[in-house]
Amino acid sequence: MTTLESAPAAGRRAGRRGTGRRGAGRADLSDRGRAERRLGLLLSAPAVIVMLMVTAYPLVNALYLSLFSYRITAPDDRRFVGLRNYATALTDSLFWQDVTTTFIVTAVTVVVELVVGFGLAMVMHRAVFARRTVRTAILLPYGIVTVISAFAWRYAFDLQSGFVNTWLGLGDYAWFSGRWSSLSVIVLSEIWKTTPFVSLLLLAGLAQVPRDLGEAATVDGATAWQRLWRVTVPNMKAAILVAVLFRTLDAWRIFDNVFVMTAGQQKTETLSFLTYRQTITRTAIGLGDAVGVLLFLSVVLIAVVFIRGFRVDLSRVRGDR
Amino acid sequence: MESTRPKWPWIVASALILVWTIFPILWIVMLSFKRPGEVGNQKGFLPKHWTWDNYRTVFRTDLFTAALVNSIGISMIATFAGVVFATLVAYAIARLEFPGKKLILSFALAIAMFPVVSLVGPLFDLWRDLGLYDTWPGLIIPYISFALPLAIWTLSAFFREIPWEMEQAAQVDGATSWQAFRKVIVPLAAPGVFTAAILTFFFCWNDFVFGISLTSSDRARPVPAALAFFTGASQFEQPTTAICAAAVVVTVPVVVIVLAFQRRIVAGLTSGAVKG
Amino acid sequence: MALALLATGLGACSAEGGTPTLTWYTNPDDGGQTRLAAACTKASGGRYRITTSVLPNDATQQREQLVRRLAAKDSGLDIMSLDPVFVAEAAAAGFLRAFPAAEAAHFTQGVFPPAVQSSTWDGRLYAAPFWANTQLLWYRKSVARKAGIDPNAPGFTWDRLIDAAVRTGTTVGVQGSKYEGYMVWINALVASAGGRIVGGAERGDDASIEIDSPAGRRAAEIISRLARSRAASPTLSTDIEEQARALLNGSRGGFMVNWGYIWRAENGDAKDGVIARNIPSDLGWARYPRVSPDRDAKPPFGGIEVGIGAYGRHKDTLAVDAVRCITSTPNMKKYMIDSGNPAARAEVFDDPEIVRQFPMAGLIRDSIGVAAPRPITPYYTDVSGAVQSRWHPPASVDPNTTPGRSESFVRRVLRDQALL
Repeated sequence: MTTLESAPAAGRRAGRRGTGRRGAGRADLSDRGRAERRLGLLLSAPAVIVMLMVTAYPLVNALYLSLFSYRITAPDDRRFVGLRNYATALTDSLFWQDVTTTFIVTAVTVVVELVVGFGLAMVMHRAVFARRTVRTAILLPYGIVTVISAFAWRYAFDLQSGFVNTWLGLGDYAWFSGRWSSLSVIVLSEIWKTTPFVSLLLLAGLAQVPRDLGEAATVDGATAWQRLWRVTVPNMKAAILVAVLFRTLDAWRIFDNVFVMTAGQQKTETLSFLTYRQTITRTAIGLGDAVGVLLFLSVVLIAVVFIRGFRVDLSRVRGDR
Repeated sequence: MESTRPKWPWIVASALILVWTIFPILWIVMLSFKRPGEVGNQKGFLPKHWTWDNYRTVFRTDLFTAALVNSIGISMIATFAGVVFATLVAYAIARLEFPGKKLILSFALAIAMFPVVSLVGPLFDLWRDLGLYDTWPGLIIPYISFALPLAIWTLSAFFREIPWEMEQAAQVDGATSWQAFRKVIVPLAAPGVFTAAILTFFFCWNDFVFGISLTSSDRARPVPAALAFFTGASQFEQPTTAICAAAVVVTVPVVVIVLAFQRRIVAGLTSGAVKG
Repeated sequence: MALALLATGLGACSAEGGTPTLTWYTNPDDGGQTRLAAACTKASGGRYRITTSVLPNDATQQREQLVRRLAAKDSGLDIMSLDPVFVAEAAAAGFLRAFPAAEAAHFTQGVFPPAVQSSTWDGRLYAAPFWANTQLLWYRKSVARKAGIDPNAPGFTWDRLIDAAVRTGTTVGVQGSKYEGYMVWINALVASAGGRIVGGAERGDDASIEIDSPAGRRAAEIISRLARSRAASPTLSTDIEEQARALLNGSRGGFMVNWGYIWRAENGDAKDGVIARNIPSDLGWARYPRVSPDRDAKPPFGGIEVGIGAYGRHKDTLAVDAVRCITSTPNMKKYMIDSGNPAARAEVFDDPEIVRQFPMAGLIRDSIGVAAPRPITPYYTDVSGAVQSRWHPPASVDPNTTPGRSESFVRRVLRDQALL
């Protein structure tokens, strides 16, 4: 039993477990129970320690340093400036331009991937011809290194080395000289690389749609379109929400494609890239960490909106019971 | 009734999917067989003159060979360690009753959503202080920690499929929790563990941000980061074809894994989120 | 724990025998510096061994790697190849070992003045000039003939250049992408117009920014005019050196400003048959164009200076000897022939072998001699990034507003009041 179990079943289970726990309360806690506790914590410890080491400390450190004016090349010049770095970032038009770019990239990729991914899932679900081949082909982009996929798309659209302009008869149209055309190529490569993930989640969702429901609807004279909207989609709502949540947060952090394809030129810079350039390239640690913290907060915000607003039940996403 | 409907739309769709997914890969392969000067001066999909020179070049440069060794070594160690850690956690979560279980799962989920770039600055400082900067462990540790969530979900899902009674039976027969785990669960869980290993390996193999931020030399630099260090005959000439040859080399293992383990990957990717 | 042990194991196997090893961080040059390192190792007679480690291709990324390691007081950085614009920053931060006056005299003797200026901070020499670079105007002789111009004529200006290209339906290739190469172009134009981007650099973040000046506006006029004319590359806003070269080789090729590597690259490609075989014989070169007819052009200055890390174990002894070997006149010549990168000492250019291999050696020498370095300031990265940010894309440059806007933006960036 994994995740998309029906709510009543989950409730039953939680209830049963709840009583069990109360039954095993303090004094009655058997040796077995105590051993189990110890073992549970012991087994979880290594993973938790590693995850904490890489995230918790650096995050606290970033929070702290973001309150200073501090550059790596002038270490003696470190001054406490309170929230000034945040004020600088939040009042800077570049920050909001990058928020806009990131938002557009995220929105477009997620919507397109959902539609294309659904199509792919349908094909995989129904395909009679070369079913295995299709599945394998869909997995290829998923496994390709993002940087390499970015290079492939960049070279393809590059005026001097690519074939796209020749094939489409676009003459010397310069894809990477305009904001929207550059973003299109970035989005295209992102879609190519990550749609497989979405389509596999949706495929699993499709498998959950009771077949007899669709058949009943057909008998009632529903068109294919009506069946899709009235039967299929509502029944795989959970899978769709999970796919959207994961891809949104992933696209929000887009970095590799931008780095390789435009290096943020033509206003294609995203929040991740902005953070990278302040902390790593410019070595303005204080200001950069402030942007990094803002990026982190934006991710938290999105997650909260999804979990509260759309009621994506994460406890079921992750297979907890 | 399915059989009465025409099949050709599905066939066309399947064919389109094949083209769409394979084409960019084919393009990189084509570029890798072009002569360096051809890129930029002559357009076209196919090379005018096919040459193996780019492959010879990349395998002759220490930059690439060192990076390849780093990528393989770091990804393998991180995969191994990550899967071991994830297996322990997933087992504990699926089978044991202990406080903080929910917390661990929520925390793992938070990690999966973490904006990596926010971390590299402070992590760079921390690694410098600990002497981990530009070393294998300096990359292995972040790889493990960011690959763990996916591995934990995948494994928890697999572990739930394993018949609970068998472990119980073993425990009734006098085995401890640990013995029950080792003797009963491990054999049943092996396929799941294997799937988690593939997904973890893909994650490590794919990394770029940590690779460029936490390394500075051949000692630990992985291939995706090393591609930015390629150069042509002079510092101004672009090494497009060499980059592509290197790209093809690091793509080969991915293609092999996908071809061999397609079913496992599909199962792994879906089971972590929805029932597969 | 096991991982940590593994790391120590890996780290420990670097020293070989008893010979002290010096690590030289080089910019990518197809192995030229590595071969030179081997030669100097041999010449040292077993006193030291130089190993090389390569930095990224892009100048800004080279700095990124070095600065981060130096800030960590990394003792593994013995010798490093530095782009001239980053010497001041590393010197001011105490990352580089200064050469005492006695040593400095040797390293600067006979060296082009811009190379010495770029290697000096606060009156002390922090890096040894190794090779120097400049841009020339490269052109197709056939196109110049058709346009009825002589780019080598005294007083040849950007305006006449753009006119000629427009008239013949050809292009003027430049580096217009948002990267260091664009700053090279802007700086050369401002300097050629008699101005400078930064003054009083020794005052650090209080330096005076002077890009909003008649010279700055003149530079903006030229960029804006070219970018909006038919002589502009269709991909101007993403063009780097190689795109400019490809443009020159293409059907609309006419003119371009570019570094000295062009000669070898063009001959190599023609030999391989990827470009028309007659292109090298049609390739002409001239001094960097002027901004105004009555004022000498100040061509761009580039190259590499070799610095010694302040935290290296052998910084006062073996590293100095190694740098002396690397930057010796014979080695500069050898490196120039091997890699095509011009020497930092003028005398090398009179060598008959050099003249045979580089027919334009005399012009390169004279151009480097009068070249204008980019602003020498510890805040160069911010200055350059801020200027690029406001002057990019080239077609958006407005002579009336761009210089002013970029000036105030540079100020704000220097005070950490703006993101970059």
